[in-house]
Amino acid sequence: MGLREVLTPFTVWKHVFDEPVTIKNPIGRPAADRYRGFHQNDMASCIGCGTCEAICQNAAIDMVPVDGIETRTGDSGLRPQIDYGRCCWCALCVDVCMTGSLTMSNEYTWVDTDPDAFRFVPGLEEPWKDDEEGYEREGKRVLSGIERIHMEEMPPETRISNFEEIVDGYSRAEAILEADRCVECGLCVATCPAHMSIPDYIAAVRDQDYDRGLEILYETNPFSEVCGRVCTHKCETSCAALHEGDPIAIRWLKRHIVDEVPFDRRLELIGKPAAPTGRKVAIIGAGPAGLTAAFDLARAGHGVVVFEALSHAGGMMRYGIPEYRLPYEALDRDIGVIEAMGVEIRTNCRVGRDVTMDALRRDYDSVILAIGLNMGRSTRVPGTEGPGVEKAVDLLRRITDGEEVPVPERLVVIGGGNVAMDIARSMARLQMQKYGRVGVTLTALEDIDHFLADREEIVESREEGVQIFDARGPQEVVRDESGAVTGLRTWRVKSIFDADGRFAPAYDEGDEQIHEGTMVIEAIGQMADTSLLEEALTEALEWNRGRIRIDGAFRTSEPWLFAAGDAVKGPDVINAVADGHRVARTVMDELAAREVMQ
Amino acid sequence: MEMRHLHALLKQRHSLGQLEPKGGKLAFVTVPRENLRGLLTELRDVHGFTHLVLLTAVDWMEDGLFQLTYMLNNRGRDMTLGIRVMLDRQEAQGDSIHDLWPTAATYQRELKEMFGIDFPGSPRIDEEFILEGWTDLPPYRRDFDSLAYSQQTYAERPGRVTHDPREYMKSKLYPDGV
Ligand SMILES: Cc1cc2nc3c(=O)[nH]c(=O)nc-3n(C[C@H](O)[C@H](O)[C@H](O)COP(=O)(O)OP(=O)(O)OC[C@H]3O[C@@H](n4cnc5c(N)ncnc54)[C@H](O)[C@@H]3O)c2cc1C
Ligand code: SF4
Ligand code: SF4
Ligand code: SF4
Repeated sequence: MGLREVLTPFTVWKHVFDEPVTIKNPIGRPAADRYRGFHQNDMASCIGCGTCEAICQNAAIDMVPVDGIETRTGDSGLRPQIDYGRCCWCALCVDVCMTGSLTMSNEYTWVDTDPDAFRFVPGLEEPWKDDEEGYEREGKRVLSGIERIHMEEMPPETRISNFEEIVDGYSRAEAILEADRCVECGLCVATCPAHMSIPDYIAAVRDQDYDRGLEILYETNPFSEVCGRVCTHKCETSCAALHEGDPIAIRWLKRHIVDEVPFDRRLELIGKPAAPTGRKVAIIGAGPAGLTAAFDLARAGHGVVVFEALSHAGGMMRYGIPEYRLPYEALDRDIGVIEAMGVEIRTNCRVGRDVTMDALRRDYDSVILAIGLNMGRSTRVPGTEGPGVEKAVDLLRRITDGEEVPVPERLVVIGGGNVAMDIARSMARLQMQKYGRVGVTLTALEDIDHFLADREEIVESREEGVQIFDARGPQEVVRDESGAVTGLRTWRVKSIFDADGRFAPAYDEGDEQIHEGTMVIEAIGQMADTSLLEEALTEALEWNRGRIRIDGAFRTSEPWLFAAGDAVKGPDVINAVADGHRVARTVMDELAAREVMQ
Repeated sequence: MEMRHLHALLKQRHSLGQLEPKGGKLAFVTVPRENLRGLLTELRDVHGFTHLVLLTAVDWMEDGLFQLTYMLNNRGRDMTLGIRVMLDRQEAQGDSIHDLWPTAATYQRELKEMFGIDFPGSPRIDEEFILEGWTDLPPYRRDFDSLAYSQQTYAERPGRVTHDPREYMKSKLYPDGV
């Protein structure tokens, strides 16, 4: 050791009276602007998805209920609580946050003798909760994909002359990428009427385990091939991913799973029904509500006969939804699985004509009514009586049946919902085949921003040449001296509802138009044909505004009769499926209860 | 001399991959392990890349590889070149360059500790760097489970409860499942 090393320690003594560089009491000393201090969370924009909790490698976050924050569509009502005994201030939670609500203040100094004080829900009352300084992510989230994987579709000029399916479906590679965007939070599950296990089947796509995916689908939905194509996909409106990007293509991923499993494999995976119970249930109507109930009942071993008035099963899935959105083979496969469970479907058998309600009541343990809404409503404006005026659902049914329907060169559709779009686009295809061009005018009461139809339906209709006139109220179907239809007379709509919210359209009579066409198609809604019930039963049943009254478990006021689907609830396939499950459960509970009584 | 020039020149003597430019002043190139030393020496002594900015690694677990990145800077020309070397992940051994740049020893010690990549002959390579008494997998390896580690290592304060968003929504919005 040299002299220098010996003396050095003493040289520091010269600093003994200097101002210290360290700070005795760090409280109050501001950190750098981008310092990562205690978290901040904007309570109003956080959706309680728990992705921050899932990513935290220190298990520092719990999702907890917070007073004043309600659970609602797309928001669990939970909020992250952080345990600063574990947090390492890495900010992964901030980087992954699905809404950008979570940030960090630059506050880092805080003394407290109670260790529990360092475990709290950021965003409630900390003094730094609205501070500007601190760490926040620049731009949108980057740890999960923002943009939806593009879905290939047939271009308008190719699709307009035929009824071939428009949407291609994902390839495996595309599906994996799309599935990878899902953070498995499960916020969407509550929104799905059938509460399908969405994150679980999306995980199966990611893991490339299509058998598992299919089994998960069948736990809640025997119409997954149909729904994978035409579901109203309300789940996607509550997806956590939509806050800073596109919602996950939940519907297309469902379709992808079914597309990847061959039909025979599907049957193998679903397996055989339970041993026969000896009980028999009659179901009226082979739409999604009736057939879902049939599937559940048959799997539990009950004998099921479905009575269907038309020549094929499927209800509005076959006779309403056009083939270019839902090919018949896809529907047939879903129905094929249900039949493989031993369900007997008696087609061309209209209850009320070919068999009576009394007979069903006598011969079966229970009867489920799932007759849908099959009669088109009319505007009843002058001129609607007589030839040249059609109902959308009648025409769609005839097109499905392969009947020759009249196809004029120019026609007018009344209605702004999806059914109106379906008939407009179907007729446009037929016109294209017959005349080589499209001549469809569509008029609706609503202005275009308030159409009931889905956005994509409006866009695609226009691409196919349908001319849309919004905020037009029909006044008269115009006819010439011979009585032939020449067009539709409309006034501009000023408002649709009165001050009390009742339907009472007000018009600007000065703004009149005649939309030319030799056919007018009404697509303004449907109603149930309840004539099968006949007088005595109609009298005996309780009604609710023209619909049979049911309770929460789908019982009618008659103990042997249950009702489900569009006829009592609606409005779409997935709701019919959910109803079908529910009514089947009620019927099974009742059958079991009767078993005990006997 | 710009990057592409330099690359073309070096290519005459070393087996170099394609140049990957990231803007005018920064580029990357991949070389086989046996070419590294010769290339670094030439860059340092002939082309003015006298500064080793950093040495770091990436774990390409699925491909069974570790990637080393040597960032070299030519201060005079304000140019930075990233030299990449791919190592077999199983073997996890690189070649020490502490004799070219003494600071490399520190980087190599860090890589040994955090990734488990050995650099035989590098000074103090087996001494603890910042982790004390570490017995688990090297923590920057991607198969190291940080969450499991923190759960095993750090005690949970009692009284914590969490809720699964999906189950919680069910209990609030549709308790009987429909
Ligand atoms: C044109 C159109 C397009 C649609 N597009 C979509 C869509 O894209 N996505 C979506 O989710 N939903 C769509 N819907 C709605 C969806 O089709 C219905 O909500 C669903 O089919 C209702 O199911 P359900 O089982 O209650 O009735 P339905 O599907 O209507 O089935 C009822 C069945 O009962 C039969 N029946 C009636 N009376 C008797 C009787 N007396 N005896 C024997 N059988 C009888 C009928 O023939 C019919 O087959 C559309 C509807 C229409 C009209
Ligand atoms: S990730 Fe963001 S939105 Fe989701 S719970 Fe955490 S803070 Fe809220
Ligand atoms: S900053 Fe890191 S450790 Fe702290 S709560 Fe967020 S993710 Fe967890
Ligand atoms: S689909 Fe959306 S809401 Fe549903 S689990 Fe995935 S990210 Fe969450």
